[in-house]
Parts: sequence; structure tokens; C-alpha cells
Amino acid sequence: MFELLFLYPYRLFSKGEFLFASGWPVWLLVVLALAMVGGVGYLVLSQKKSRRWLVVAGLQAFVLCLLLFMLWRPALRVTALKPQQNVIAVVVDDSRSMLLKQDTGTRIEAVKKLLNDGLLDKMRGRFQVRVYRAGNHLERIQSLDAVTGSQNTTHLGSAMKQMVEESASLPIGAVVLLSDGSDNSGGLEADALSEIRRRKIPIHTVGFGAERLTKDVEVMELDVPLRALSDSRIGAAVTFRNYGYKGQKAKIALMADDKIVTSREVTLAGDGTPQTETLLFNAGLAGARNVKATIIKLGEEENGSNNAQTRLINVESLKPRILYIEGEPKWDFKFIRRALEGDRNIQLTTMLRTTQNKIYRQGVEDPKELEQGFPDKEEDLFKFSGLMIGGIEASWFTPQQQAMIKNFADRRGGGVMFLAGRGAMSDGGWAASPIAEMIPVSLTDRKGTFHREPATAELTDAGRDSLVVRIEEDGKKNEDRWKKLPFMANYQETGTAKPGATVLVDALPTSKGRFPLFVTQRYGRGRTSVFASSGTWRWQMTQDVKDLSHELFWQQTSRWLVTETPPQISAAPSKQLLLDDGNVEFRADVRDKAYNPVPAATVEARIMGPGGVGAMIPLTPDANQAGIFTSKWDAPKSGSYVVEVLAKNGKEEMGRDVFTMIRQDGVAESFHAEQNKQLLEGLSRQTGGNYYTPATAKALPDDIAYSEAGVTTRETKDLWNMPAILIALFGAKAAEWLIRRRWGAV
Amino acid sequence: MAQNKYLRALCVILLLAGACLAFQRGRNRLPFLQDDDLPDPYPTDAAEKTEYTFARLRYNSYRQGAGMWGVRGSWTTDYPKAERHFVQGIRRLSRVHVRSVEEVVDLDTDKIFDYPWIYAVEVGHWDLSDSQATKLREYLNRGGFLMVDDFHGSIEWEIFMRSMSRVFPDRPVVDIPNKDPIFHMLFDLDDRIQIPGIVMFYTGNTYEQDGVKEKWGGIYDDKGRIMVAMCQNMDLGDAWEHADMPQYPERYTSMAYRIGLNYIIYSMTH
Repeated sequence: MFELLFLYPYRLFSKGEFLFASGWPVWLLVVLALAMVGGVGYLVLSQKKSRRWLVVAGLQAFVLCLLLFMLWRPALRVTALKPQQNVIAVVVDDSRSMLLKQDTGTRIEAVKKLLNDGLLDKMRGRFQVRVYRAGNHLERIQSLDAVTGSQNTTHLGSAMKQMVEESASLPIGAVVLLSDGSDNSGGLEADALSEIRRRKIPIHTVGFGAERLTKDVEVMELDVPLRALSDSRIGAAVTFRNYGYKGQKAKIALMADDKIVTSREVTLAGDGTPQTETLLFNAGLAGARNVKATIIKLGEEENGSNNAQTRLINVESLKPRILYIEGEPKWDFKFIRRALEGDRNIQLTTMLRTTQNKIYRQGVEDPKELEQGFPDKEEDLFKFSGLMIGGIEASWFTPQQQAMIKNFADRRGGGVMFLAGRGAMSDGGWAASPIAEMIPVSLTDRKGTFHREPATAELTDAGRDSLVVRIEEDGKKNEDRWKKLPFMANYQETGTAKPGATVLVDALPTSKGRFPLFVTQRYGRGRTSVFASSGTWRWQMTQDVKDLSHELFWQQTSRWLVTETPPQISAAPSKQLLLDDGNVEFRADVRDKAYNPVPAATVEARIMGPGGVGAMIPLTPDANQAGIFTSKWDAPKSGSYVVEVLAKNGKEEMGRDVFTMIRQDGVAESFHAEQNKQLLEGLSRQTGGNYYTPATAKALPDDIAYSEAGVTTRETKDLWNMPAILIALFGAKAAEWLIRRRWGAV
Repeated sequence: MAQNKYLRALCVILLLAGACLAFQRGRNRLPFLQDDDLPDPYPTDAAEKTEYTFARLRYNSYRQGAGMWGVRGSWTTDYPKAERHFVQGIRRLSRVHVRSVEEVVDLDTDKIFDYPWIYAVEVGHWDLSDSQATKLREYLNRGGFLMVDDFHGSIEWEIFMRSMSRVFPDRPVVDIPNKDPIFHMLFDLDDRIQIPGIVMFYTGNTYEQDGVKEKWGGIYDDKGRIMVAMCQNMDLGDAWEHADMPQYPERYTSMAYRIGLNYIIYSMTH
């Protein structure tokens, strides 16, 4: 329709440059047009004609202006490829996802059919055509028979980049990419894109495959922590979606080192709706743990290869220490101690103020430890990974110690938890202390906020989704269990949660109101939290001895407090899961005992991989960030890698850290197997090309001709003879005639 | 027939003599003990809600169901003066937030679970039913702590153990070693002494019956924590109760306070 009215396709207008081919000055056109409009207007107004004359005069002025416009000879100037002097690169996606079926055959068969049914010939009639196949790399082929869907991966970005690089001396006029858009590397890299744009090579894409599958279940993501403490309970968040199985049951199985550790039956949601289920399991002994989440294949699934995802967890045999200081003997102190005694991953050290001048210490490493009271040196405090501050007044700590507590979370990256009590929070003067800044609730200035009145605990929306307060594996059961917990013996009024803080549990006193009970937030490199009751001991004393709610809650909370506390040397890969591409960057954060960055350390990574792969590479300091060391490496083989990063200051070893990563080849291709239209459209749009479906691809040979790349010529396309202009011209006169007929003599 | 007649007469005489002796004994109470059982004024802050409350266990006494032969409920011994004196010491000597008055709990309701520390006196006279023994076991296993006191000699030990062995059939009573933390909580109590009751004023001995040597016994849980602490052949209750009596030696009261405080703080930390 567009072409019918405007003589040329829309794409020509978008590429072309508008001009007046008569060569007469444009200002003259404008002046004459204004003169005509002004003249007609003057005639009408001077003769004091009726208002209807204004309409007629307007139509006449329009016709005169349009004629002037045509006289000036409007035209489009476009750059077009010279016939037979340009190369068109036809790139066919040869990855495994192209073997998926669509309609009557596979995607590859559809590509071949489209090309062989005249498209290639039409292009060859006007251009030189080179055919390539793309997968792991780009390769020129002589015949489409070479396209078999044999490549494990698709790297469209690097394929395009390679094509541009290899054809630097060729007059490439355009690229035609036939693909399902399933890319394993995240699309086109910025440098490749800028090179293509610099050479003005348009990439035209033809999309194959359904935009959504009709019968499929896919595990989209498996989210597990990179590290875990041995024997700790960790959560694996499995995100999946389905097409065509709404309301049906499916079973998720979670395996650790090929043994099923837990499973769950789920009801599948609507088409394409992502669902997430969190399965809890025991991390087991120290070592690299291969965790795999699988949804058991359902009947008639189109793609059975996307039902599982694998991750690697580095299970560490660390035993982080928590220092808990309490202002007076209380039952929760005893029962928290008991709960954590049952946790082999946490070492709890406590300081209890039994009298005004006596501190009773438990869990110390030697009799001298903490003998002088709360640490007054950062090195002594920073040995701990977590800090719990009970009902003890802020003024009990010196200003220096208060600053250390802040730095404990901020710089050291530890977890700090504030507990309730007569000397806690507002009642303990914490609101007026510098520490108030790191407490995740706004404390009030008044006293008397601690109440020995019963209060029940209720999960908030955030708490229902949080693993920290998960004492039952199943979310619904967990919610029910919290509802059944006995009331706590006391509670402390807290202010509202600060922006950025998360309220996981509310306290509901029987007497009045609702207060945030358990609030968490990130603070600097660490995290802080408030638990506004010291009466959870009733969960232990008033429930059956076999009930482990109290123990599990405090164990989970304590692990949250310390699990992410970084060691002096903390290292991590840029990505833990390497899909078909081994390129990875290592990053190490090196700190001294007071956790100040150490810019002048010697840092190296020792890598052990599959099949005897071993390497030792140095990490170099980052010029912009003190204490940060980085290095790039290419994991050569598919499999699991263990990397130990060692830091030295001179000859003295500062510490070491270990992380794991995994490279998987040929797996990613099975995921997101539907056509990635968004990527293909984006690629075309960014390079000045167009996106086509197989049905619309017949326009390709004509569209290809208009390109600024390769050997081109400038063409001028007249517009004065566009049907749209003639229709407007005759339409205006017809309208005038009709008006005159209706109104009579005006 | 005549022999039976004499026998009956002898019995009557013996009964009358016994009654007279018993009456005379009360009247012959030492002068400084005459008003000792009078309670102190009721504390004005008795309604205060606190972290710790001295909980006294009310139990059925052995032979309590034997009609006229039964004895008064022995759980009330020294009640309430002992604990009211003792809690004043707790307030003075520690940071334990303690109520000025006691709470009486028993093993027939679940109220006991709100008091993780309980005290039972004269347990040489207690007689727990099976359900009470079961509840006490559950209480201790959940984390409760029981201090027993004021029972003497082998007979009362045997009676005590008849019930205790039904609470924990498989857990032995052991002597708590000196190095155990319970003797080093607030005070280092390596050198403990036998703490006598007021009977010493009559007998001149620091022990009663055949309980010559004091016993610091305990029952431990699987993790080496004391669940039941026993003060056998001693009477800490009397030492607390008579803390304000000039005649009662200060060294005994002082030791009893220290023992009691250590036991309480132990139970709040272990």
C-alpha cells in the first residue's frame, strides 16, 4: 500500500535523502507559496466575502502550493549498490538449535528451502553472493549441504565480527543472516558493532523458528551461592517456565554430585510465566559440589534438552566465629548458645556481663582471649566474622570501640546483629550514638521501649520469600510453622525500617500494634540487622523437645550473619558458569588484618582443571582501585576448575582464597531455543538493515540494493509523480467542487 | 487373750507419750527461732516483670496419701522466706533481673515451661507420679534446670532416687567435679563447705541422719551440661532463710548465696 501511494518502498525513504531536483532555490519556493497564500487571502478579505469563501480559498491556495512544489521537482537521492560489483554475505546459523522442528521440518531445512527456492538466485542475479555458516566460528561454504546444525554454540556477534575482519578488502554490500537468534554470548559486542557501523554494512536478518514453543518446560536459571559452609543448609532457587502444560504437575529433582538430595512436585503456571521454587539441601562435606536441578521430562516435550541446569558450589570447611556480647544474664542467651552449639559451622564466642565488673566468657580460643574485655584493636575484633550485640548500653563501649563496630560491617564486611533487652536500642542510648546510623531501623529517642509482654512473630511478604527465616523447606509449610510458633516472652518497640532495609518478621504484641521484629540491610561491605526480642527461648521451652524451630531459626540467622563475610583475601571469577567460552577474569580483593586495602601485594592464581589442566598466573593491580588485583584467563576445556588465589606481602603469606568455576560446552544451545526475534531485530536496526520472516524475505534482493557499503552509485528518484501527490491535487479540486455544489454560489 | 490386752494398753501408752513428746518439742524450740517463720512484709515490687523468677516446685510428698500418717507437704519447707532473702542477694550481687517474689510451679500443668530454673526442697520426701516424672524429663530435656536441696542420709536419698530414676532411668547421678564451670561462674568455689540447716543448733552437727558428708551431685545431658544439681546432706534453703539471723553463721549463708547464684547463672549460660 505504501509503495502504491508513494511509488517507492518505505525503506527507500528511510535511507534516502530528500532534495529538489529543479535546482531552483528553495527560498523562492517558500516566497512564492507565501505570496500565493497571502494573495488569495487578500482577495477574500478585501471583498468582504462570507466565511465560506475562506474554505474555498484555502483549498485553492493548497492546490497552487502543491503545483509549485511539483514544479520544483521533489526527489529522493539514494545510495545503491552497483550491480555485480558488490558481495552479499549470506550467513546461515549452523548451530544445534537450528535442528529444532518448526512446522514441517527443521529450522535448517526451512533456511535451505528459502534460499534454494529463488532467493539465492535473485541475489546472484544482481550481486556476487558468498555463503557462510556460523556457529562456534564463521566458515565460508560452497554449498548449503555443508549446513547440518552440527555446531555446539552460536556466537553471532563474533561471527559478524570475523566476517567483517576477513572481508576488509572485499566490497561487502550487505550481510544477510538467517538464524533463530539463539546466541550463547549475549549478542554483538560493542567493538564489533562499531566496526560494522563504521563500514556502513547493513545486516539484514531473517528469523526462523517459532517465537514461542508449544510444548516445552525449561529450567531457565539455577541460583545457588558460589560458596557455602560445610554441612550447612543452602537454598537452590530453580526458575523455570513452560509452554502448553498449564496446570499440570511436574517434579523438580535436585542432585548433588549425581545423588538426589531433594525433590518437589510443582504445579505449572501459564504459558511463558517464570516460576521460582527454592529447594533447601545440605551442602555436605568440604569440596567442590556439582549441583544439578532437573525437571523430569513431560510427555510430548519439543525440547527435552533444556530441562536441567548445573552449577558448582565451593563448600568450605571454615568455621566462622561470631562474637556475642550480652549486657545481663537472660534466657535467650543460653538458648541461642545451645542452638549454635548444634551447628558445626559456627563458632560462637560470648561475653556476658554477669555483674557490673565481671564478664563471663565462653567459647574463647585461649584463656587470654578477650580477657581485657571487648576488643579495642581492629585486628582483634576483625578476627570474628559476625557480631551480636545484646542488651548492653551504647555508653559501655568507648568511642573507639563504637567506631570499630561500624568499621566491622563497613570495611571488614562482617555481619552485625542488634538484639533486644533492657539496655538495648533506644533504652540503651543507642539512638544517640554514632552506631545508630548502621542500625536498620530508626530508633526513637524515648526510653521504655522494652516490654516483657507476650508477642507473636509473623512473616512479612519479604520474609515469606527469604531463606534466612526458612525453618521449613517448603514455603507454605514455613509460613504455617511461623504461625504456630508460641509467643515470645518479650519484645522491643523499634521505629520504622530505614530505606533499603528489609523487614522479614513483624512482632505482634497481644497488647497493641505491630513492630518490625527482624530487619536486615546491607551496610558497606557487610550487613546489619535487628532482632527486637530476647524472648525466643519460649519457642524452645514450650514446644516438644523434638521441635527444632528455635535451633533452626538461630542457626539460619547466624549463617546469614557470617556466610558472606569476606576473608582477608577474597577472590572470584567474573562468571562462574562459562558457557562455550572459556574467557574469564579473576578478581582478588587483598586486605591486611585491619582490612585496609593492600595495593603492593604479590597475587597469583593456581588453577587446576579437567584432564590435567593446570596453570599459574599472576594477578596485576587495578590502577583505579587499591587492593584489587585482576587477570584474564581462558579455560581451555569443558569441566570443573578449582582456582586458589594466593597473596603475599614480600615473603609473608597474607592469605589465600579458593573458588570454583565450570565450563560447559554445547549446553547453552538447548536453552532459549525459541526464535530470539528481539536480538535479530536489534541487530538489523543497529546496523541499518531490516528484519524479515521467511514469508517477507522475498523483498530482500530489492532492499539489499540500497546500501552505503561496498561499491555504490547515487540515484535520484523523482517524487513529483507520486500517486499520493496527484490524489491530493485532484482531491482538493474535487472537494472544492463538492463544496460549491453544496453551498451554491458563495 | 490377756497378752493382747496388755499389748493394746502398751500401744495406747506409747501413743500418748509420743504425742506429749511432740507437743513438748514445739514448745522447746530455741528462743531465737521462735519468730523465725514469720514472713517478711510482702514486697511492693512483687508485680514487676523480670527475666528471672525463683520458681519453687510443688510436689506430692512420700506418704502424703497415707491419711493421718502422712506428713505436711514438704515442698513448702523454708517457704517463702528462703527465696525472698535469696533474690535480694541475687539483685545485690549480680546483673540478673530478678523478681522479688517467687513463683510456685508444679508438674501437673505446663506453667513450669515458662520457668527454665526450678528449685525443689526436701526431695527426700517427694513422690512423683509417672506422668509427673515424664513432664520433668521433658522439661529438663528442653533446657530446664532443677536444683534440689535439703535432703539427708541414705533413706532420703533412696526416696529421692525412686522418683529421679523414673525421670532419667539411664542417666547416672555423678559427683560434679571441681573444675566444672558451675563452680566457677560468678564465684570460684573450689573450697566448698557443708551447709547445715538449723538442726545444727539442736544436734551440734552440720549433718543430719547418716548424711555425714556433703554431696555435690549432678545429672548431665548428652552434651555435658548439668540438668539437675543436687545439694545432698546440706540445707541451702535454711542458709538463705536464716540469712538475717545473727546466730546462723555467716560463712554458711555466704556460701549458700554463692552456690545459688552460680547455679542460676550456669543455667542461664549453659
